[in-house]
Amino acid sequence: MALAVMLLDGASFHSACCRHKVLLSSLGPLLSNSKLYSSYRRPGAEPEKKLSWQNADFSLKKSIDHLKTHLSLLKKETQDYLKGPGGNPLSQHLLEQTRVLWQFRSQEDLNKWVISSDVEIGGKSKVYIKLGRNNQAAVLYGTLNTEVPRDGETKYSGYCSMKSRPEVGSFNRKKYYDWSNFNSLYLRVRGDGRPWMVNIYTDPYFSHQKDDLYSYFMFTRGGPYWEEITIPFSKFFLSSRGRVQDNQHPVWLDKVRTLGFTIGDKVDGPFQLEIDFIGLLNDRAHKEKFAYEVYDKNTPV
Amino acid sequence: PQANLIFIASLLLGTTITISSNHWITAWMGLEINTLAILPLISKSHHPRAIEAATKYFLTQAAASTLVLFSSMTNAWCTGQWDITQLTHPTSCLILTSAVAMKLGLVPFHFWFPEVLQGSPLTTGLLLSTIMKLPPITLLYMTSPSLNPTLLTTLAIFSTALGGWMGLNQTQVRKILAFSSISHLGWMAIIIIYNPKLTLLNFYLYTMMTAAVFLTLNTIKVLKLSTLMTAWTKIPSLNAMLLLTLLSLAGLPPLTGFLPKWLIIQELTKQDMAPAAMLISLLSLLSLFFYLRLAYCTAITLPPHTTNHMKQWRTNKPTNITIAMLIT
Repeated sequence: MALAVMLLDGASFHSACCRHKVLLSSLGPLLSNSKLYSSYRRPGAEPEKKLSWQNADFSLKKSIDHLKTHLSLLKKETQDYLKGPGGNPLSQHLLEQTRVLWQFRSQEDLNKWVISSDVEIGGKSKVYIKLGRNNQAAVLYGTLNTEVPRDGETKYSGYCSMKSRPEVGSFNRKKYYDWSNFNSLYLRVRGDGRPWMVNIYTDPYFSHQKDDLYSYFMFTRGGPYWEEITIPFSKFFLSSRGRVQDNQHPVWLDKVRTLGFTIGDKVDGPFQLEIDFIGLLNDRAHKEKFAYEVYDKNTPV
Repeated sequence: PQANLIFIASLLLGTTITISSNHWITAWMGLEINTLAILPLISKSHHPRAIEAATKYFLTQAAASTLVLFSSMTNAWCTGQWDITQLTHPTSCLILTSAVAMKLGLVPFHFWFPEVLQGSPLTTGLLLSTIMKLPPITLLYMTSPSLNPTLLTTLAIFSTALGGWMGLNQTQVRKILAFSSISHLGWMAIIIIYNPKLTLLNFYLYTMMTAAVFLTLNTIKVLKLSTLMTAWTKIPSLNAMLLLTLLSLAGLPPLTGFLPKWLIIQELTKQDMAPAAMLISLLSLLSLFFYLRLAYCTAITLPPHTTNHMKQWRTNKPTNITIAMLIT
């Protein structure tokens, strides 16, 4: 606004009218109180009514409550640290062969997961999550729609996904899971026959690696019976921004941040997945270290 | 393959240049050669974590080398000479101490060390902890008469405290070794003003013990605590030596690791710094806890389940056995 006033003053000093008009027309976007840069809003995103800096809340009471919450979280973290790795005694860490990570029994278990679909790029798929019958499972259901949004640059569409919320420690620090004791993922699901993709995100320190994702497929049966699917971690392959990389390596399990499920099998129609629990298993019979070839495949002969 | 030879030769070259230099430029050159030579060794496996470790290592070490050069330049500006042993200007000493603290991983600048050690393979971790520490310690040794005692004592005490405290909850063996390295560096730094030869003695003994531990862990291919528990089936005699070496690192009396600690405490009390001596020995109790836990997992407990390792080793590397023999 000060810039606009200054320019107007500058304009009033020059008596040439065409320059005046040009200046006023260029001041139009400045005066209308919108963003100073042009941005393309994707069809699925809502228009921003309040700018982000107007959302800051400066009340003292709220900040003191916030500080108290975080200090109590910090105290709990210190106590867990003294007990042993992961808050459990060391004997448990050394002896455990199974661990249940997420169990869906109440609404707050559902709140630990975030669902998203291709609505964010302008597509038309719908996805919902609710608790199943008798609060025994989570039901992820919806409709896939592979109709491509008409914005000229998107070629494919039609995906829905469910990701776990990344854990946040005291003072909003990142917390990682340590799954190094285990070598398989164990899921109790009841699907509808459609193939899903399981993704593991290990939040890296440097941002140029932030798109790397370890994925593998989960094929569901669809029958009325519950299935227990074991996916060994040695089968997860590395992809970055959706493209499978040439240099593959096994996923390191000591700093995992989120787990996610995605459906994107290019088939229009409804889908449903019920998940009872997600856990980890240390399968002593599984000896494979990594399922893909690690040596250099592009050596010139 | 042959690239390995080049990297190791460059490492040795860089270390030798720094140790045998009497001009700051050659010392800095040796440090830079060391940094660059070990980078491909850290990121050999092309895993994102290894590359992340290499990037972190490079950034911190490059910043520390810059600070070394800066301190030598301020000293040359004020006193007109570039001799390493004549670093007399107090600001230069301060900046050099912080630069060497960054290189070694002493406390306010230790954050890179566990992550880098975790991202690198075990043999490279060994090189990082032992050979890469030698040039900075040599620089401190040569400038020790003019360094600031309060700063070094504070750094040393905090290093021992943090090395012990943060090592308590770790399950990844390389991070535990990183924290043990940090606390040993604290012991080395505290005595450098009063009797620098004790620092060097501590360093040599620490190098031998850590080399034995790293090479043993490399032979039995252990990377985390749970694997350590089932490693006794592979080479039981090596396991027993690992136990003794770990206890020696902890500084328990009949073993060699106690010698530097005893001499350092004696020297500190002679210099009228008895509270510092008490503090540093109490803080090394914390690191004793995790050494004992490692030793417990290695040798004393019998896990209830059997192992499923891919190969039972029939050959062993005799080098680390001789080292372990030398220690105890």
